[in-house]
Amino acid sequence: MSDYILELNNITKNFPGVKALDNANFRLKKKSIHALLGENGAGKSTLIKIITGVYNQNEGKLFLNNQEKSFSSPNEAMNAGISVVHQERNLIRRFSVGENLMLTNLPKNNLGLIDYNTVAKESKKWLDIMELDIDPNTIVSDLTVAKMQLCEIAKALSLESKILLLDEPTSSLSPQDTKNLFALLKRLVAEQDVSIVFVSHKLEEVFEICDEVTVLRDGKNACESEQITNLDRQKLVKLMIGRDEQIIKSKKNIDFTEENLLDLQSINTDLGHKNINLNLKKGEILGLYGLVGAGRTELIKCVLGLDKINSGQILLNNKEIKIKSPKDALEKYKIGYISEDRKKEGLILMHDVLSNAGITVWSNLKKILSFLNDSIVYNKVDPYVKQLEVKTPSYQQIVSNLSGGNQQKISVAKWLASGTDILFIDEPTVGIDIKTKSYLHELIIELSLKGTSIILITSDMPEMISLADRIITMKDFKVVGETINNHNYEEMSSSIMGNIHE
Amino acid sequence: MGGIKPPFFMNNKIPNFVKTNQFGLLILVIVFICIFSFSTDGFTSRFNIYALSRVVALDIMIGLAMMVVILTGGLNLSLGALGVSAAMFGGWCMESMGIPISITIILVLAFGSFLGWINGFVTVRTGVHSFIVTLATMSIYFGFMTLLTEAEAFRKLPEAFTDFGSLKLFNKYISPLLIISVLTCFVLYYIFKYTDIGRKLIAAGANPDAAELSGISVDRMFIYCHMLSGFLAALAGIMLTARIGAAIPSMAGHLGFDWLLPAFLAPVLGGTLLSGGKVTVFGTMLGAILVTLINNGLYLIDVGEFWVRFFLGIILLGAVLLDRAREYFTVKNSIVS
Repeated sequence: MSDYILELNNITKNFPGVKALDNANFRLKKKSIHALLGENGAGKSTLIKIITGVYNQNEGKLFLNNQEKSFSSPNEAMNAGISVVHQERNLIRRFSVGENLMLTNLPKNNLGLIDYNTVAKESKKWLDIMELDIDPNTIVSDLTVAKMQLCEIAKALSLESKILLLDEPTSSLSPQDTKNLFALLKRLVAEQDVSIVFVSHKLEEVFEICDEVTVLRDGKNACESEQITNLDRQKLVKLMIGRDEQIIKSKKNIDFTEENLLDLQSINTDLGHKNINLNLKKGEILGLYGLVGAGRTELIKCVLGLDKINSGQILLNNKEIKIKSPKDALEKYKIGYISEDRKKEGLILMHDVLSNAGITVWSNLKKILSFLNDSIVYNKVDPYVKQLEVKTPSYQQIVSNLSGGNQQKISVAKWLASGTDILFIDEPTVGIDIKTKSYLHELIIELSLKGTSIILITSDMPEMISLADRIITMKDFKVVGETINNHNYEEMSSSIMGNIHE
Repeated sequence: MGGIKPPFFMNNKIPNFVKTNQFGLLILVIVFICIFSFSTDGFTSRFNIYALSRVVALDIMIGLAMMVVILTGGLNLSLGALGVSAAMFGGWCMESMGIPISITIILVLAFGSFLGWINGFVTVRTGVHSFIVTLATMSIYFGFMTLLTEAEAFRKLPEAFTDFGSLKLFNKYISPLLIISVLTCFVLYYIFKYTDIGRKLIAAGANPDAAELSGISVDRMFIYCHMLSGFLAALAGIMLTARIGAAIPSMAGHLGFDWLLPAFLAPVLGGTLLSGGKVTVFGTMLGAILVTLINNGLYLIDVGEFWVRFFLGIILLGAVLLDRAREYFTVKNSIVS
């Protein structure tokens, strides 16, 4: 008898043309938090999908509680006590918390109608176990992102799950919410007999809560069930990417007495921004830090003309401008925006690489009578796609078939091709593997050195401190602090958090 | 060199036509032609082929008019009412005002585009789905047209105009109307494939948010699609008028309903995604040909009017299932990481 609750031995999974998993092992101890790490495309998602019954392995065996199992559908896996909490929310936004929790097993009264009292009572039980102070009758869409995440976990618990798979659970949480989540996870493991598989790109988190680590690289085990105490960050990164991590720091001297390139003066918006003042120098990387919901992305969207600015003015080179739409911003003022949500706002997933990379330059490239063919676009965007080392079999590849990192590179490439003077970059590395992440960091610095001015929004503190020249902190749709970055992590982070929690 | 192959047009590789939806359609068309040629008398007769070409010409045009709105993820239910209204306007221009044919055609196309613009403008400004908007304008256009014309037809059209409708080309096998439709297909294909504006229309239809943030004016693109739809529907209206030699308020049925089934069938069979963002001009053409063939063949087999409708309904359902399958496979492909 082993003390493993879940065991996968020598798993191989083939897809047409790729071996996604090659003799991979994964062993989850009872009552432990086990990190599953790897770059994008290393086989993590495939492994998770085999565990949850979405795929079947070509070779290898899966044991649950020492019994060999083979799940033919996600439902079977769920009934066996395995639940996944996805990055994408699986809750029905218009239903109440209680309805969502009890969805698969809604209690009925004598008339066969839903018994809402029992729904509330039953779901309250699970919310209480998690010490969550949420009324089961709250509509899900009224909850904060963090609370939704917790409700998902409550839902998994209500299905009597003994194994919880958490896929990037903190990607949209604030540091405080993350802390709460971790406390809860530890408690669940201790009190509820739950074992957790934790997938994340944030290594700090792995060290904070995980007991053991399994790393996949190119479908194989780079390490298997290693005690976290035997590893440090450097070792872990080396296991993941096969070489040492490069630490990047922007070393630039921006003359902050220089004239402003872009200047927002006492901006008030429809969305609730109050008296926003900020300015951007030429070639500067200006960081906008804040918790989720601080109004950073919203501010940028107001500047781009997507939401209304009620008062205040925007100056470009000391001349007042009115930006009516992103089209205006791009064509008249050479301002671009790389969205945080590449799937919804950054890319057209169902279209191919060429049209995604070229979308911003079509207007400039068109010939007489609006003529434009693929080869004109190709000649324009190819240098940028090459420069970014986008890995795609061809320009005709549909973008949704590419990995997250490559998708992000394309949504960056199209703005490089457009040759803008000012770029708003919003959370450029969320859900991106380390290799691509440091690559994008280098690129952002290089761009700014070449004279592009950048406003960088990121909730990743290390990223902010390594890239930004100056950091503006926002909270509740207001600017609450401005600091010149000295790239010293401890000093900067405590100063920024001080601004937020004042 | 980065490991990326250049686009197919640069390394002489022809895209895999065999895998496409159009190829399947082409096979189906051929199969049905064979079936009907052997099982019915007169399917391959000169008279029948000529009649077919006149019907197919119209179905293609109607299908294209719907296709360009489906591109936005929307629908244009007012298609028939709009086309007939434009045609009646043309009849009035020629018969009552004595305006020359060429100028009338330009006016009618402009009028159709204007009615399409109304559809687009209201859809974009209200944010209401075009299904509802065009349901309303369908009734408005048709009602208004009936009111103005007092439901009277224009039957004394210039002979040059009606003669064109009954002209027979290519050894009297083909109507010139079909040539107009096929030419229109080529023009649309050119627009979608080789122009800046065409690319923007498709991008806006596929993902409005991403397109907007990439500097495309999505609202304007959607209005263009509706205008193009109005333009094509008006062209279909003129063609129908030329074909029957008169502009009759009921020539597309009450509220223009007779046009709706072919309008949906052709693009959906042809591979246009109902959720928007993908057009197949020649697929729509093949879809229209298939629908007309089946329609015509079933009549010749003499199964009866109601059975024909029954079968067309079944085909529409089948086509919609096909659409779902297409979407499913797009998603399925993206799962593999």
